[in-house]
Amino acid sequence: MATGRLERFLNRFADVRGHEAHAALYLSGFFFLITFTFYIIKPVKESFLIGFASAASWPYADLATALLIGFVVALNTRLLNRLPRRIYISAIILFFIGCLLAFWYVFDVYQKSQVSTPVADSSGGIFFVWLPLAIFKAGTVPVFVFSFWTDVFIALSVTQFWIAVNDVFDPYQGKRLVGLFVTGGLFGGIAGSSLAALMVYAKLISAGNLLLVCPVILLFALMMVNLVYAEQKKLKETAGAEADPVQAGARVGYWESFLAIKRNRYLRLLAATLASAMVVGSLINFQFKFVVKSIFPNTNDRTLFVFMFYLGILVLSTFIHLATTGRILRSFGIRWALLVAPALLLAGSLSVFLVSLGGLLAWVSIVRGGDKIFDNTISQSVRELLYIPVPADIKYKAKMFIDMFVNKFATGLGAGLYWGLYRLSDFDHKGDVAVLREIGILVVVFLCLWIALTRAVYAEYPAVLKKDIRRKWSDPEKAVLQHVDMEQTLNIFNTIQSRERSTTLYYMNVFNLVRRNDLAPELKELLGIKRDELKARSMDSLLDVGGGVFFPGLEETIVDAEFQSEIDLIFLLPSYQEIMGKRLGEIVGSDSEVDRIEAANSISRMVPNPSTLRSLERLLQDPSSEVVTYALGSASVHRRVEHIPLILRLLANPMTSQEAQRTLAAYGSGIEDLLKSALEDDGEPPVVRRAIPEILARIGTQKSADILLDQLARRREDMEMELVDALYKIRSSRPEVRFRRKLVRPELVFLIGKGYEIFLDHPVPDAEAKAALDLNVKRVFDLMTLLYPAEDIVKAYQNILQGTRKSGDYSLSLLDDLLDRELKAFLFPLIEVLPSEERVLRMKKAMRLK
Amino acid sequence: MLIKTREVNNVVIFDIEGEIRRSESMQTTLHHQVKSHLDRGRRNVLLNLEGVEFIDSFGVGEILASYISTQNLGGKLKLCEISKKLLLIFQITMLTKVLDIHEDCAGALESFDKP
Repeated sequence: MATGRLERFLNRFADVRGHEAHAALYLSGFFFLITFTFYIIKPVKESFLIGFASAASWPYADLATALLIGFVVALNTRLLNRLPRRIYISAIILFFIGCLLAFWYVFDVYQKSQVSTPVADSSGGIFFVWLPLAIFKAGTVPVFVFSFWTDVFIALSVTQFWIAVNDVFDPYQGKRLVGLFVTGGLFGGIAGSSLAALMVYAKLISAGNLLLVCPVILLFALMMVNLVYAEQKKLKETAGAEADPVQAGARVGYWESFLAIKRNRYLRLLAATLASAMVVGSLINFQFKFVVKSIFPNTNDRTLFVFMFYLGILVLSTFIHLATTGRILRSFGIRWALLVAPALLLAGSLSVFLVSLGGLLAWVSIVRGGDKIFDNTISQSVRELLYIPVPADIKYKAKMFIDMFVNKFATGLGAGLYWGLYRLSDFDHKGDVAVLREIGILVVVFLCLWIALTRAVYAEYPAVLKKDIRRKWSDPEKAVLQHVDMEQTLNIFNTIQSRERSTTLYYMNVFNLVRRNDLAPELKELLGIKRDELKARSMDSLLDVGGGVFFPGLEETIVDAEFQSEIDLIFLLPSYQEIMGKRLGEIVGSDSEVDRIEAANSISRMVPNPSTLRSLERLLQDPSSEVVTYALGSASVHRRVEHIPLILRLLANPMTSQEAQRTLAAYGSGIEDLLKSALEDDGEPPVVRRAIPEILARIGTQKSADILLDQLARRREDMEMELVDALYKIRSSRPEVRFRRKLVRPELVFLIGKGYEIFLDHPVPDAEAKAALDLNVKRVFDLMTLLYPAEDIVKAYQNILQGTRKSGDYSLSLLDDLLDRELKAFLFPLIEVLPSEERVLRMKKAMRLK
Repeated sequence: MLIKTREVNNVVIFDIEGEIRRSESMQTTLHHQVKSHLDRGRRNVLLNLEGVEFIDSFGVGEILASYISTQNLGGKLKLCEISKKLLLIFQITMLTKVLDIHEDCAGALESFDKP
């Protein structure tokens, strides 16, 4: 089938993308065939166990599995680590085929021996002489061996399938495709159990001979899994080398698998959660068997009921899976999907205390059916999703150990609890209702434990997921703040420049630098502080002193604390204030730019009396941007409200804009309303209005954030970028500031909608549209930081933009986990890697939903 | 100050001549010019400072603002052919800890391909 048609077909079951279609189909087929076989073998096992073993000995089958499965795990782990994956899976399937033929022979002899006692026949070889006799002598042992083998087959086959899924698909793909795989499995189960039920019902084949059907099915499964790995190899060759862990890794044994779980808290919790679920399932199963045995004393009736029960479970599972699993996962995420099964089972199990004798079969069928249906559908999907964030190197060890050992151990624990309760409470002499209620108490205890562990696992899940998502680049503003003292750096550059312009200005700047910091020797050298030949060239213009050598020992003098305090005292002298007040008035009108710069600079140290402030006002309107810059420095020291309109005007000049922003930010909280008025004033030049959000971001108060959000809600195209940038800055630097969800969310949706518009106008974006889309997505993510953990959102953005395919998919998983349902549905079509046609369809669908 | 732009291997190179200082700047500043390239989807920027004699505090602000705008969008901004004197000032003020400065522009261009 052509990929396009195949993709459309598979899309009915899950979100399958073009290049994944073949591998997804083969894997679904593989799972179909496994479960097909499984649902033939399982009823046969049940039939043999119920038919040949007493109710009191049922737990022995589970206990035997619990005790022996560890050896199988150890052997399987060794094989997994030593063999290439494709050879390993093929070898195991061939082994199962061989076992099935052997069991068919054993049960054939066993059933015949029930009719006539075998005798030693010396006409054959020695092996075939004594084997039938040995089988006859073994009694019910082959049934328990077969029961154990069935458990191994189920555990290994399912584990192999999910290992193949992990090999071929990354986490995000897995999450999308899990629905398809589960569908394949459910259809396989229905087909297998229907075939078995029909054949037995119609007496076309005996239960034992059904085992001969299974090897044929498994041969198809073998072919399917080889097609999967061949397809993957082809994809890797065309896509280039992003290595997947399909080869055997370092040799790791059973003990290492155990240690991998022991060392990892998340895996320990996961193992405990699955174990508690298995104990619940095991105990419910004993409740079920107890009722069935009591109500159906006839073996044939009982066997047929079990077949029909399994068939019913599978049909219902398929229906529920197709109707709800994907929807629950998409809509509520893993968090709530995890709770569905234990919560509903808890309600069902508690109702045992209300059920009468007549309703027992219906009740137990609902509870046991519910447990199996959840296990087949949502619990299975969620369980596999929970493994996804676990690093590949320990995932295989852990998964194998949990699926095969922990699960079986938990089933054994359930069997042990039933066995203990059976004897302690003397079930042989109790009524059915009393027995079920006593088991029910244990079920409720383990359900409560399951729910508690579910919450604990989910609490760990995001952290485990995030381990694989790292920042691709650091926050540039934080990097600058971390490494560079901006004020000192700018002063150093100003000082160096001023040396060429005016000695007075130079000394003023050096003095300012020294007052702020201890200067490093290299800096003193660079600034010329160590040189003695500097002369006062312009100080005379300010203080009317003659030229000449000035401060031969500058370095020692300028760092002297006494000298610094003397300077401060001079600035405070009333006579100095009076003289300088008059002098400043003359200098600000001077033709000399240097004089005006010196005056603008010196005002920062003066007492802000009316004449000084008037001079500053004039200097802030000086035609020279150099003068204005120094005046802004002084204005940031005195911070007078009357200067704010003048400073706002300076935002329009690119030469003074940066300094004006710094100055207004230095005013700090208290000027937000003035800035808001300017922001809303259409009379202000756009360039001035666009510079204001940055100032509000630097002030960074709650009020600033509220103003910015309020302005964003006005949806002025020309202000959007600056407003979003400013809000993001506040979010990343002021964690205490809160952003109202009801204000942010509509703007977020509006911005995503703008991205849709760009894309729908240019389904195949040209360079310009792509640039516009990139900026739009950046703003969307910046805005999302206001509502969700900022670091997570930034990491997700960076990895979607520049990460590997895997880290990009992890990021989508993280967003899937963080964002609410509606936002996810609206955002994902914009950010996922999709073919244009598919993206357009999804966008249109999302817009309809919106 | 005179700024000429050219593009080599997806890198926008700004060849700057003169002094990056407040009194020398044009109505469209260096940062404005870098931003306009970023808005058009360019993400790799190289400032060739071979012809730059001096940078004042305004010039430093422009370079840092350009760096922040580029980096915020996942791009890279690098400097090359910076004079020894300027490099010394950049080192003392720790700007070298933030800015990626290369001795020659060919080496800087090659480095854009490296992660």
